[in-house]
Amino acid sequence: MRLRQRAEQLFNIEHIVPVVFLFLSFFAWQVSGLTGTFVFNQVLTRFIRDGILVLSLIIPVVAGMGLNFAIIVGAMSAQAALLFVISCQVAGLGGILSVIFLSIALSVVLGFAIGHVLNRVKGKEMIVTIIIGFLANSVYQLVFLAGFGTIIPVANKEIILSRGIGVRNAVDLSMYRNTIDKFWLLKIEGLEIPLFMILVVLLFGGMIYYLLHTRFGREVKAAGSGSEKAEVAGINVNLLRIKVIILSMVLAALGQLVYLQNIGMFDVYTAHMNADVFSCAALLAGGASIKSAKIRHALIGIFLFHTLFIVSPQAGQNLFHNAALGEYFRSFVAYGTIAFALIINVKRENM
Amino acid sequence: MEIKNLSKRYNGIPALTNISLSVKAGEIHGIVGANGSGKSTLLNILSGSPLIRETGGYHGEISFAGNRVNLKNCAEAIRMGIGMVHQEFALLPDLTIAENIKLSREHTHKFTDRLFGPKYSFIDRKRNDESAARILQKLRLHLDVDVKIINLSTNTRQFVEIARVIDRTDLKLLLLDEPTAVLSRDDGLNLIAVFREMAQNGLGILFISHRLEEMQQICDRVTVFRDGAIVSSYEQGEISIKNLARDMIGHTVHKATAPKREIKARPAISFQQFSVKMPGEEINGLDLTVFEGEILGLTSLSGHGKLALGYGVMGMYPTGGEVIYENKKIDRMDAKANILNGIYVLPDDRQALGMLPEHSLADNIIFTGNQIKNLFSINFGRPFSGFIDRKKADAHVHQLVRNFEIKCASLKQKSKELSGGNQQKVCIARALTLNPKLLIVAEPTRGIDISAKEKILQMLLDINRKNHTTIVIASSELDELKRVCDRIAVMVDGKIFKILLPDASETEFGLALAGEEGTKNEEF
Amino acid sequence: MKNFSIKPPQVIILIFLIVLIGLAYVLQMDLIVLFNESLIKLVMNGVLVLSLIPMLNAGAGMNFGLPVGITGGLVGLCIAVNFRLTGFSGFFMSLLLSVPICGMLGWLYGLILNRVKGREEIAGTFIGFSVIPLMNYFWTLAPFQNRQMLYPIGGQGLRPKISLEPYFYNVLDQFCLIKIGGIEIPLGLLAFYGLICLFLYLFFRSKVGRAIIATGENEAFSKLSGIDIAGIRLIAVILSTILAGIGICVYSQSYGFIQLYDEPLSMYFPAISAVLIGGSTGRRTYIFEAVLGAYLLQTIYLLTVPIANQILIPEVTEILRTLITYSIILYALLYRDKRGIVH
Repeated sequence: MRLRQRAEQLFNIEHIVPVVFLFLSFFAWQVSGLTGTFVFNQVLTRFIRDGILVLSLIIPVVAGMGLNFAIIVGAMSAQAALLFVISCQVAGLGGILSVIFLSIALSVVLGFAIGHVLNRVKGKEMIVTIIIGFLANSVYQLVFLAGFGTIIPVANKEIILSRGIGVRNAVDLSMYRNTIDKFWLLKIEGLEIPLFMILVVLLFGGMIYYLLHTRFGREVKAAGSGSEKAEVAGINVNLLRIKVIILSMVLAALGQLVYLQNIGMFDVYTAHMNADVFSCAALLAGGASIKSAKIRHALIGIFLFHTLFIVSPQAGQNLFHNAALGEYFRSFVAYGTIAFALIINVKRENM
Repeated sequence: MEIKNLSKRYNGIPALTNISLSVKAGEIHGIVGANGSGKSTLLNILSGSPLIRETGGYHGEISFAGNRVNLKNCAEAIRMGIGMVHQEFALLPDLTIAENIKLSREHTHKFTDRLFGPKYSFIDRKRNDESAARILQKLRLHLDVDVKIINLSTNTRQFVEIARVIDRTDLKLLLLDEPTAVLSRDDGLNLIAVFREMAQNGLGILFISHRLEEMQQICDRVTVFRDGAIVSSYEQGEISIKNLARDMIGHTVHKATAPKREIKARPAISFQQFSVKMPGEEINGLDLTVFEGEILGLTSLSGHGKLALGYGVMGMYPTGGEVIYENKKIDRMDAKANILNGIYVLPDDRQALGMLPEHSLADNIIFTGNQIKNLFSINFGRPFSGFIDRKKADAHVHQLVRNFEIKCASLKQKSKELSGGNQQKVCIARALTLNPKLLIVAEPTRGIDISAKEKILQMLLDINRKNHTTIVIASSELDELKRVCDRIAVMVDGKIFKILLPDASETEFGLALAGEEGTKNEEF
Repeated sequence: MKNFSIKPPQVIILIFLIVLIGLAYVLQMDLIVLFNESLIKLVMNGVLVLSLIPMLNAGAGMNFGLPVGITGGLVGLCIAVNFRLTGFSGFFMSLLLSVPICGMLGWLYGLILNRVKGREEIAGTFIGFSVIPLMNYFWTLAPFQNRQMLYPIGGQGLRPKISLEPYFYNVLDQFCLIKIGGIEIPLGLLAFYGLICLFLYLFFRSKVGRAIIATGENEAFSKLSGIDIAGIRLIAVILSTILAGIGICVYSQSYGFIQLYDEPLSMYFPAISAVLIGGSTGRRTYIFEAVLGAYLLQTIYLLTVPIANQILIPEVTEILRTLITYSIILYALLYRDKRGIVH
C-alpha cells in the first residue's frame, strides 16, 4: 500500500504530463529539423498571444467549475467590440481605449448571464460551457454575417462584403497592429524578445496569483473544495461563482485583444475558433488537472504545448512526407490531453 | 438567547412544536433526545441553515442578546456571533488546517488593506499559521497547520472544526452538535474541560450529546426532547442519568403483537468482526448471530451503524471480517450470489435505493425476481432471452396487491405516484416474490402513516411465521421493535453493545443506546 | 408514450415548422417533392438518432462520443468499396464489417465511460474529438487499393469525399419504391428503418434491455438487486456504437458519398438535438420520440434551404441550423439537471 502511494506520488499527473510533453516536443523538434532560434521565437510569440487566455482558465478551475470552455465567448465579445469600433471608424488611441472598454463591458454582461446558467447545472459545468460556446458562435456569425448591413447600419464600408450585407472574412487591423508589441524589443543574435509583452503576460499571472491569495481567493478555493460546506462557512457560493466567471470572461476578452493585435490581421469568423480547446490543452499540458491549477501550470504549459504545436507539421513532413499528418497529430494531442485529464481525474475522485 | 414557542414543519409533518428555552451567557445548556426528537432541526434553525428556509421557514420567536432576530442564512448567524460545530464536518477537505481555521477571517497585509480593502488584500500566511497553531494549542493539540484536512483522522478533524469556531473573537453563542461522538473518552474529557473554561469566560453554550454521563458532568441545565417537544428540564444537581434515559425514550403502552417465543434453532447467519465502510454509518467489528426463524431487532442512535448491515451484505460498501451463512463462509459480498442464496435486503431510503419510480408497481414487484431468478420469463434463446410472461406475472402481482391491500389505480400505475406506505408494501411484495430465507429490512416504517405502519409490521410477522423467513429489522422505532422482535440488539459505535429482550425496561434501552454500562443495573 | 406531453422546445419547433410550410406554400414550392424527400431524410438520419437510445436509457446521457461509432461504420464502408462490391452485396457487406469494428470500438469506449461515471458527456465529447484526428491517420496511411478512393494525384491516402455512385448509391432508397401520383414512398428504406426500430423495441422488452432501463433510472436500486452495473452499461454503449455504425452506412448510401476526415464532427449534434426535439429529456427515451424528433428536425432542415435561398442570405441557412441545434441541446442540459436526482 505504501509502495503504491509512493509510486503514485512519483507518477503524479502534475509531473508526468509535462514530462511526456517535454519528451514529445523534443523528439518532434529533432525530427523537424527546425532551428532552435526559429522555434524559440515562435514559441515566445505564442506565449504572448495565448498567455492571458490560458491564465483566464485558472480561477474557474480553482472554484471547482472545471475548464471554462466559455472563454471562447469572452474572446468573441472582444472581437465583437473590435468590429463595432471599426465599423464606427474610431482610430488611434481613442479607438483602442473604446475597444477595451466595450469588450470588458460585453464580457461582464455575458459572464453574468453564463454564471447564472452555470449555477443551475452544478457538476456539469464543462459540457454546458462547451455547448454555450458553440451556441454563441452561431449567434456571433448570425450577427456579423447577416445582421451587419441589414439591421445594424455600418459606416465603414471597407469591412463589408461587396453585396452590402455581412462583414468580410478578414479585416485588416493595420491601424492598431503591433502597437505595443515592439516596445522594448530585445534582439540577441536572432532571438527577438518582446520584453514589454512578456512582462504584461507575467503581470496578469501575478495579478491572478495575488487574487488567489486574498480573502476572495480563499473563498474561491473553499467553494471549489466543497460547495455546501463553503455555504455553511458563510460564503455566498452562487454569487462567488458568478464573480469567478465574469472575471474569467473579462480576462479572456483582454487576452483575445492581445492575440489579435499581435497577429495584426483579423479573421472575423475563425480567429476565436479553438481558443478554448487550445488554451485548455495548454493549461493541462503544464500539469494542471480539472480540479487544481496554478499559475506555473499555465506558464509552463504554454511553452510545452506550443513547442509541440509549432514543430509537429514539419516533423510530420519529414517523417511521413505528409505535413497533414503532423497537423492531425497536434489536434489529437490537443483533444487527447483534455480527454486524458477528464478520465484520469474522475478516476481519482472515485477513489 | 431566548426561544419562545418555536415550531417547524417539514411538508406538514411537525418536527418541532412550541419549544421554549433559553441559554444565558456563561451557561452550558444540554439537550438530549433520541433520533428524530428535533435536536438537529433546532440547531439548523439557530445556525441559519438554508434548508430551513427552503422548506418553508419556522414559526415562533427567537431573541438574541435582547433583540428579536430572524435568521435567514448562515452568514447572518455568523455575523451575530453564533458559531456551530457540526456533527458531519463542515471542513473543506482540500484546504490546510490553517486555511480552514482562519477562513474568511484571514490576517492580511496592512498595506494592501488600505489599497484594495480587506476582501482583496494579500493574505499574511505566516501570521495565519501562527494564529492557527495558537488556537490549536488552546485545545492541547500540536499539529503542523500546513497539512490538508483530507489527510487527517476523524478525531483530529473534530478538533480542527472546534478550533475554527472558537477562534472567533466575536463568539457569543456556541452550538455543539455531538462534539464528542467521534472522540475517545479521554479526548472527550479533555475537550469538555476546554468548554467549561470558555463558558466561564462568558460564552453561552448549547450542548447536544447522547453521552448522558458527560451531560451530567458539565451542563448547568439539561432539557430532554422527545418527538419535537420538551419533556422535562433539570437544573444542575438534579440531573441523573437514569431520569434522562427514561425521559428520552418515553413510556408508551404497547400491546405485545408477537407472543414471546423461545428460539432454539440453528444460526442462520453469523457475523464475526464484520465491518462496513458506509460513510456516516460505519460498522466496526460487529459480532452477531441471527438464529433461524427469529425476528431480530437492530437499533442504535443514528450514525452508529444499524443501517449499514444490509448494505454491507449486498456489497454496496467495502466490507471486512467474516460472514457465515448456512454454515458456509461468504467470500465476497456479491448482491446477485446472495440473492440466489436466499438473502434479500430492503433499504431504508426507498426513493433512492428501493424502487424504480418511473416503472409500474407490477414491474417493481417482479423486477428482482425476474432478473436474478428468471421468474415469469419466456425464453426464446439469446439475445432475446427473458421476455416477461405477462399473464403469469400479472396473476402473481394481482394476488399480492390483494393480500397486502396495496392501494393503486391499476397494476400499471407508476410506483412514484403511490403513497409511502404503499411503496413500502410494494418493496415487501418484491422481497416476498423472491421468497428469501433471510430478510434484512431497514427502517420499514419510516415516513409512513399510522395505519400502514400496523399493516407493514403485520406483514413482516406473517412472512416470518408462515414462510419461516428469518428477519432482521434495523430501526430507530424502539416501540415497534419491541412489539415484533424476539430479541433486540443495541448498537453503539458500530458494535453490538447489548442484546436485550423486548420486555426490558425503557431505562435499560435508554442507557444501552447512550452506551452507558448502567452501573446501577441492580436497581431495575 | 403514455405520458407524452408537449414541452416548450416542441412547441417552438412545431410553430417554426408550420411557418416554414406556410412560407414554402406561399413561395410556390413543390410540397410533394419536399414530402418525398423528407421521408428519405428521416431514414437517412433516423438510424443515427436511434443509436442514441441505448445509452440514454442506461443513464449514460447523450452520446457526445458519437464519432466513435461513425468512424467505425466508415471503416466498414471503405473496406466494402475497396473490394468494389456493388449493389446490395456491397451495402450489406459494409454493414457486416461495421458491426464487429464498432463492437470493438464500443467496447473500448464503454470501458472508458465506465470509469468516468457521471461525467460521460464531457468525456465523450473529447473522446469523440480525439478519435477524429486519430482516424485521419488511418484514412491517410491505410493501404487501400481502389484508385477511385485515393487522392487523384500526388497526395497520400483516401480522398475526403468518396463517391458511391458506381457501388451502392441509393440501393435502399430505390428498393421497392412505390409511386402513387407524385408521391414516392421508399418502402424498402422504411422497412429497413422499421426493422431496426422493431429490434430496439424487442431488445428493451428483453431481460437485458429491462436491466438497462432500470439501471438508467435508479443505479443504486439495480445494484442492490444484484445487477452487474458495469456490464450492463457496457452492453448499452456497445449497442449504441454499433447502431451508429449502421446509421452512417445508411446515411452514406442515401447521400451518395462517404465523407471522411473531419466530417463526422458535423453529424452528431443534429442527431442529439433531434432526439431531444422528439421529447427525450436526456434520460429514458422511447423509440417513438427518436423517430418523431428525427422527422421534425430533418423536415425543418429540408425546408430552410430553399426558403433561405429565396429570401435570405445563403449562409444563414447553415447558421440557423446550428443555432437551433445548440439551443435545443443547451435547453435540455439546463432543464434536465433541474429535475435530475442523479447521484
